[in-house]
Amino acid sequence: MSVTPSDPAPGPLNPAAAAAEPAYSERREKLLLFLQNRLGLFGLILVVMFFLSAIFAPIFATHDPFQMDIPNRMSGPTAEHWAGTDQLGRDTYSRVLYGGRVALQVAAIGVSVSLAVGLLLGMVAGYGPRWLDNLLLLVFDTIRSFPTIVLALAAVALLGPSLNLVLAVVIVTTIPGYARLARTSTLALKHTEFILAERSLGASPARILLRHVLPNVIGPLLILAAMDVPVVVTIEAGLSFLGLGVLPPTASWGTILNEGYLIIRDTPWPVIAGGVPLVLTTIGFTFLGEALRDVFDPKLRKGH
Amino acid sequence: MAALLDIRNLNVDFRTPRGRVHALRDVSFKVPQGKIVGVVGESGSGKSTVIWTITRLLAGNAIIESGEAMFDGRDLLKLRESQLQNVRGEEISIVFQDPMTSQSPVHSYRQQMTDILYRRNSSENDKRKRAVAMMRRVGIPDPESRILQYPHQFSGGMRQRAGIAMALLMDPMLLIADEPTTALDVTMEAQIIHLIQELQAEFDATIMVVSHNLGLIAELCDEVIVMYAGEVVENGGVREIFHNASHPYTRALLECDPARELTRSRFLPTIPGDVPDLHARPLGCVFSSRCTQVFDACHKRQPAAQPVSVDGHTACCHLLDATIAPNARPQAAAATPRDDPPEFARREESALLDVKDLRVRFRTMGNLKARIKGVSDPFVDAVLHASLSLKSGETLGLVGESGSGKTTLGRAILGLVTAQEGSARFEGKELMGLTSSEFMPMRQHMAMMFQDPNGSLSPRQTIRSLFTEPFEIHGLKGRNMDDEVHRLCDMVSLPRNFLSRYPHELSGGQARRVGVARALALNPKLIIADEPTAGLDVSVQGEILNLMSELQAEHGLGYLIISHNLPVVRHISDKLAIMYLGRLVERGDCDPIFENPAHPYTEALVGGVPQPDPDKRRSLVSIEGEVPSLTNRPSGCEFHTRCKYATDRCRIERPEETMLGDGRVVTCHFPLVN
Repeated sequence: MSVTPSDPAPGPLNPAAAAAEPAYSERREKLLLFLQNRLGLFGLILVVMFFLSAIFAPIFATHDPFQMDIPNRMSGPTAEHWAGTDQLGRDTYSRVLYGGRVALQVAAIGVSVSLAVGLLLGMVAGYGPRWLDNLLLLVFDTIRSFPTIVLALAAVALLGPSLNLVLAVVIVTTIPGYARLARTSTLALKHTEFILAERSLGASPARILLRHVLPNVIGPLLILAAMDVPVVVTIEAGLSFLGLGVLPPTASWGTILNEGYLIIRDTPWPVIAGGVPLVLTTIGFTFLGEALRDVFDPKLRKGH
Repeated sequence: MAALLDIRNLNVDFRTPRGRVHALRDVSFKVPQGKIVGVVGESGSGKSTVIWTITRLLAGNAIIESGEAMFDGRDLLKLRESQLQNVRGEEISIVFQDPMTSQSPVHSYRQQMTDILYRRNSSENDKRKRAVAMMRRVGIPDPESRILQYPHQFSGGMRQRAGIAMALLMDPMLLIADEPTTALDVTMEAQIIHLIQELQAEFDATIMVVSHNLGLIAELCDEVIVMYAGEVVENGGVREIFHNASHPYTRALLECDPARELTRSRFLPTIPGDVPDLHARPLGCVFSSRCTQVFDACHKRQPAAQPVSVDGHTACCHLLDATIAPNARPQAAAATPRDDPPEFARREESALLDVKDLRVRFRTMGNLKARIKGVSDPFVDAVLHASLSLKSGETLGLVGESGSGKTTLGRAILGLVTAQEGSARFEGKELMGLTSSEFMPMRQHMAMMFQDPNGSLSPRQTIRSLFTEPFEIHGLKGRNMDDEVHRLCDMVSLPRNFLSRYPHELSGGQARRVGVARALALNPKLIIADEPTAGLDVSVQGEILNLMSELQAEHGLGYLIISHNLPVVRHISDKLAIMYLGRLVERGDCDPIFENPAHPYTEALVGGVPQPDPDKRRSLVSIEGEVPSLTNRPSGCEFHTRCKYATDRCRIERPEETMLGDGRVVTCHFPLVN
């Protein structure tokens, strides 16, 4: 979209209106509103920490996540191993950091792909012909009727456990949520005057969808995506915990929990260290998503 | 006469992210017992804020700074919430603007009305009887069975009648009507006005009518309060206000009303400028920035209310204060029409647009359902055998009540709705039956303007990208976009720094200018404008219509203007076409149609416009009843159910189009002329 340099010279014929240059923008108002929401700010901090720790895991890590220190296996926190070690003497702190990379990978790729596909399919269903809408809805509802874990079990039984399979399951099962939301918003926009105005100018359906429908429906979808991230991270951890996702020795929060669970009588530290980031990430994204929803949905704003 | 409601020095602020808006400043007026008081003002005048302040239903960010609202011996502004609940509904009740949104969609009228009577200790049966009696009183036929229906089963006019019945159910001391006819057609408006008058006489009710419609106020009210930008600028009896307006704003407002000017003129008066920003308290007179007679004192001091005549008519203007401005007399602040531009030399060649026997049908149910139900023809005709033609430089006004099919006809010409039969030729080329890709190149030459000024602009696009979009769509990228965008800005007098704004940051008039500029971006030959002045204040409406006239003269445009607003259409149209139930009942030159309507429906429409003159109140409602449903068209002449001249022949035989002596085409057995 083109950005226009604002013309400093006032309009030629309407000086009164030109003088009323807005002293604030709606964006700034929304930013202020967001900053006033303490839980949202807390969520944002947690989310930023999650991203930083995952991206810079090699820098923050004190050990190689696969390096074994047999003499110090199953130890509690020490100066050497900040969060203790597991049954093979691997540094839990470093493994949690690397596990965050897996979580981020699944969350970022899974959520963004299903958001994009869901958005596109939803807009097409909402704007396109009736038969296509019915067909797509049938597909969405069919997918949604499968329990995620059962679908994952079936897929693993066929193809064997892998990270890519986890991603695929996550994407397929979350697409209908986005598509449904995009479709409903598109249906509401379909008969508005500005869409009619674009049609009267000769705009093609693709142009109408991408330039005029998309910016108006994407807001709620982004909020849904923020709230979906913890769900996706939990699915990955859950599947890995069951041994259906990421395979040892790769560190993921799910595998850390799985292995820690087996040695919990010897040391609780792997379970604690694997569980806390999962909880914090979930809380962070949930708070952030709720704060975004409050900011962008004026109907939910307080004081009105 | 004692005042039932006495508002004194009311000040109300709104907290906004940009600071406080001083929405009401020192508002004082009285509503005497047994009178109808009208509050007039344009948008932003604070007239609605007054209502919500008296009923204490203001938004959460409002602060009542100071003032009193004495109602029946109590100050409404000092009552507790529990006391207020006894006042609302019981003593003060409100008729809302849009009955569709102010009535519960999931409750029948019986449920809603007996619920209103919850405070009465009568039996359910008595409550129902009272509700039925009230529904009958407001003119709802067969109230015993209709009271069991839901709001969506009522037509707009009936719904508003039911709204009035609900408001009167508790016998309130004060009835507030907030724009009671704005959502209705002229014929319905006349009926509602008549109903309110009758009820006032019968119940000796005290009524406060809030409206921007001067015709409604003149017809209905005894006293008038004129508000501007949060202040009362003039206050007096209805005749005083309409015949001896003393504040420049009141005079300008009256002059801007297109219904007032009886002779046809291309240019309408306007009030230049905008309502001032109320974040800062205005130092001097609030109207000074738009007043043509402004002088030093106006910027320095706020004018006090000056008596104009002995009977309580006051106006806040320095010009009336002999100590400040001797020998001065306020005049209208409306800009007088400029000289007419050179008329565009009309080429009397073939028509620009020629529509013949166009028919648009909508499906009412699926094929299978129609089979099962035994319906042989599951369609309704929204437009039937519509024919019209338009030349370059000409304006054709298409007029009808809501549901007449006028918007559908306009959209069908542009291919936004599919027409089933007939032809529409643009410069001789047939448009019907074209695929959307074949239609595409034609769209450069014809454009449409939509009803809602802000709602017809894509909300997440800047004005600049809205302006460049037509060029992009039609692949005209070679041009210098900056030049084109600036040309469009200048053409519609929109300041260039507006280009980076978004539609919601514009006022209605500014958004309408953007709409005009977009329609004209590619230099089209034909513009179809659907209600171009809907949602605009009278002072702005003139600006837009003048702009459209100027551009027409400059570019030789052909306009098809779709509107229900007859006074406006009259001023700008060369030709008129009147539509009823999807058929054109009369068409021809504008002036003869207005002076001597040939079709009874046209006569009713012309007579239905309330005049902004209290001496021209109508004693009779020009047209009774409502538009029949499209699914159940009357036999013979479709207007016979509402026509006061109808005979047996009209009920049986459908009239053909007949040409009158002056070239008008009328579809009536007994035209009122010749």
